[in-house]
Amino acid sequence: MLTVENLRVVYHDVISVLNDVSLDVKAGEILIIIGANGAGKTTLLRTVSGMIDFYDGDIIEGDIKMEGVSIRGLDATDIMKRYGVTYVMEDRPIFWYLTIEENLKAASFSRWNKQIKTDMEKIYDYFPVLRPQQNKKAGYASGGEQQMLAIGMALMTRPKMLLLDEPSLGLAPLVTEELFDIIRQLNRSGITIVLVEQNAHAALNIGIRGYVFETGRIVLDGTAQEILENEDVKEFYLGSGERESKSYKDAKRYKRRKRWL
Amino acid sequence: MIDLLQTLGSGVLVGLVYALLGLCIVIIFKSSETFNFAIGEFLIIGSFLFYTLFFNETIPWYKALQLGAVIFLFFSFILFYDKNLRLRIALPLGMVTGFLIFCVFFFGLKLSSLITSSFLRFAIAFPLGLLAAGLFGAMVERVTIKPLLGRSPIAMTIVTLGLGFFLRACVQLIWGSHAYPFFLDLPDITVEVGDLLFLSDPIWAGIISLIIFGLVIAFLFRTRWGLAIRATSEDQAKAMAFGINARFILLLVWGISALCIAVAGIMISNFGALQVSMGFVGLRAIPVVLIGGMDSIGGAMAGGILVGICEALAGAYVEPLGLVGFKAVAPYLLLLIVLFIRPYGLFGTVRIERV
Ligand SMILES: Nc1ncnc2c1ncn2[C@@H]1O[C@H](COP(=O)(O)OP(=O)(O)OP(=O)(O)O)[C@@H](O)[C@H]1O
Ligand SMILES: [Mg+2]
Repeated sequence: MLTVENLRVVYHDVISVLNDVSLDVKAGEILIIIGANGAGKTTLLRTVSGMIDFYDGDIIEGDIKMEGVSIRGLDATDIMKRYGVTYVMEDRPIFWYLTIEENLKAASFSRWNKQIKTDMEKIYDYFPVLRPQQNKKAGYASGGEQQMLAIGMALMTRPKMLLLDEPSLGLAPLVTEELFDIIRQLNRSGITIVLVEQNAHAALNIGIRGYVFETGRIVLDGTAQEILENEDVKEFYLGSGERESKSYKDAKRYKRRKRWL
Repeated sequence: MIDLLQTLGSGVLVGLVYALLGLCIVIIFKSSETFNFAIGEFLIIGSFLFYTLFFNETIPWYKALQLGAVIFLFFSFILFYDKNLRLRIALPLGMVTGFLIFCVFFFGLKLSSLITSSFLRFAIAFPLGLLAAGLFGAMVERVTIKPLLGRSPIAMTIVTLGLGFFLRACVQLIWGSHAYPFFLDLPDITVEVGDLLFLSDPIWAGIISLIIFGLVIAFLFRTRWGLAIRATSEDQAKAMAFGINARFILLLVWGISALCIAVAGIMISNFGALQVSMGFVGLRAIPVVLIGGMDSIGGAMAGGILVGICEALAGAYVEPLGLVGFKAVAPYLLLLIVLFIRPYGLFGTVRIERV
């Protein structure tokens, strides 16, 4: 469905963040992307969704294709309208000073028509916690509710593909579980999902395939199962490796080792 | 007592016009965090556009031709620059628009010979003039603000400062700096109750400003475009991520703002005459928005009325004591006092603090 070819992205013309990243997303799957802080995961999603301009970033090499057609250089709104790619930014991208209902309405701006009402009902069915709070300012909702709202807003755009950036950020484990359940449900209803997560274990458990990012490169890819069982990943992302203590030196060596891949 | 009521009443009427000026600043500040220092120039240009249509004022062909050419270049450049619309649309559209602009400025609209009723003439020229002013605002946004989207708001503010000087020079080039008599000749609705007397012009100014203020608020809070504007005002990146075209929304906001400024400009010109130096009235918006709170629409209304009353009181009670010119200083004095008590203005937004 989506292919990224040899992508190279810089911010402010000098800060190189993505180097030669190639990946593909197949229709109907849940793709997991994990990686350390600052690895460039968010940058990748910004680039795919066409928002990179806004952050003064540039694609200096490579291409992004949606079903074989290049979408490089298209506006964010165009990409959303034409290809149904919706990007849910990190840290609960909701409008704090609008009510929950207004938030949902605002998100459906690009496809305003009579079905808005029924779609909103559907969202409230997905996330029953939101229904009684319709007229509350979104800024006053709890973190979990805000994240649900963010996903609800993304659904209001009728996406074919959802790019989720760390939806579990700052959520309690139980809420995270609930959220991932919903993500799986959405996937079953036919939405392709790209999930960027720090919460690697939980994410890989619902995922089908995965990529591991390290300082702007992909260092590992495979099925979710393979990644879960990879020794390095276990050591550094899942925190359940066999060896007891991991010193910083080890981390360095690990990185160097992975560059061989 | 009668005296005081009279003063307060006139203060409120003028205050409503100021409120409209404040609103223009507030909506731009909310959506792009920019203070539009070119407000005075927007005010004169809006008034002159209306003047051209209403009074059949024409300008020599060589000036009209330049304007037409600028409009043509603008359209062909902007539309060609936009990836979706190609030269095929851009060139003819630019030519037609440029030609129309040339005709209007060179031949005039001849409304006065077609329509004798001055009120009807006003009813036609007013929306047209506002539309022109709105388009002008949108044009300015495309050229100066859009390229800066995503950059620091300070950069945009400085740009508006420079823009102000540039536009002022343009107005002087095209229309000169002498005063144009301005008389709308609206139906007389002078109110006389006992010893109270409110003249027709200020009442019209108050009413029309209030109506436009109400329309803008209804637009912002009742329509989906308004919702999109409010969403974009909160966060452009989030709005873009949810499919709201933030760039177009900014264009819209600048258009609306320029339109409202034109209304205020026309109303203020109607008190006297229209000339370039009138642009300074636009800066009255500074105490208005600072008193009300930079990001509060209700605050603009309150600030406008307060400034209007303060001015009227100063004019009626302090100036006769020998302090000539105190009227112009009084709003700033009030501003200082308010800022001492509430640094964010009277109605600055209550920030949502997550607990
Ligand atoms: N707007 C920007 N301007 C300049 N540099 C940026 C910008 N945004 C991100 N960066 C830099 O790009 C690098 C990658 O950032 P990015 O946000 O993509 O990482 P990430 O993988 O999402 O990290 P995290 O897991 O912490 O969210 C970082 O070093 C960051 O400092
Ligand atoms: Mg990130």
